[in-house]
Amino acid sequence: MAELSIGIAGLRAAVITPDAKVAGVVRDRFKGFASSGPADWRIEISLPSESVPSYEDVVVKRDGVPARFSVKRHDFTGTVDVGERTADVMLTNAHDISEEVSLESFWRILYSLALVEAHGLVVHAASLVRNGKAYLFAGPSGSGKTTLARLSSDATLLSDELSIVRIGERGATCYGTPFRGELALAGEDRAAPLVGIYFLRHGDRHAVEALRAGQALARLLPNVLFFAREADVTAAVFRIAADLVEAVPCFELSFRPDPGFWEVIVNG
Amino acid sequence: MAEAYLTQSPRTAWRVYDGEAVILCPDSSTLNTLNPVGTLIWESADGKTPTSAIVARICEEFDVDPEQAERDTTDFIAKLSGRGLLSVAETIQQAP
Repeated sequence: MAELSIGIAGLRAAVITPDAKVAGVVRDRFKGFASSGPADWRIEISLPSESVPSYEDVVVKRDGVPARFSVKRHDFTGTVDVGERTADVMLTNAHDISEEVSLESFWRILYSLALVEAHGLVVHAASLVRNGKAYLFAGPSGSGKTTLARLSSDATLLSDELSIVRIGERGATCYGTPFRGELALAGEDRAAPLVGIYFLRHGDRHAVEALRAGQALARLLPNVLFFAREADVTAAVFRIAADLVEAVPCFELSFRPDPGFWEVIVNG
Repeated sequence: MAEAYLTQSPRTAWRVYDGEAVILCPDSSTLNTLNPVGTLIWESADGKTPTSAIVARICEEFDVDPEQAERDTTDFIAKLSGRGLLSVAETIQQAP
């Protein structure tokens, strides 16, 4: 039985698996995020001994216990108990998807649920640190997240795909994640105060336009990664997003693919 | 306009920015942004305030005549109750 410790966004998890290959995958996939100290979460990973039913889409829903969610996709099935802070997942490998991809997908869902209690969100966004400050660039696939990351050689990459933000008494903090986008790179295991949220738009010049909080909330919510549909947890996510757009200035960023966009961001 | 009492659906989450309410309906994952008149009605939908009092507040705060305020209120109630965001009752409603 292998036991590993992985810490992302300040939440440490003890990861237990009887399978040496799976342990190697976890070690490799999350190698920049190995941690030490007491674990907040316990995650058990197993492989099936017999065939299990397959689900095409991600289905996340309460399984009868208020704080426990069942999580099912075509390549894994598991539970996340946000009350007990435990999770288990069985990799079913139904469509020959690698354990690496399945595990990362499960981790994304796990964190989307675990962060609610920690007043945080997983956001479809690139995030970069420059001069000790974090900047979040939100948008769906094709909006330019990876392009901006590629154009920012002097910045530290927190993620080019999925970023984590937590709100505390001192404002919002952005965290590096191992979740990979087109760059196929994990972010740095680092945190920095979040000073701006930028919703991306391709343009022929660089420009920023301030958004009012209501506008920003409407732009942010579709970019929040969250699969459960229960009203109370959805409302909790809404409140975190609402707090975030109140705590951090939000903008629309029009940009063309050159590093000059940093100039309009820094100079306002 | 018959007297009625409005109650926000407990399944919604909402926040007011710059006098405009943004309401999430979790069942459909849709956002509804209300204008200032709609926001006043929404914030008054506590199950205890009669529609006549809401109409009076609209007249006072937005300088509109009672007929217009009644029409706005009727339209608003129809729209939001149709979306499951609001319930309408003939008597005072207790808090859930």
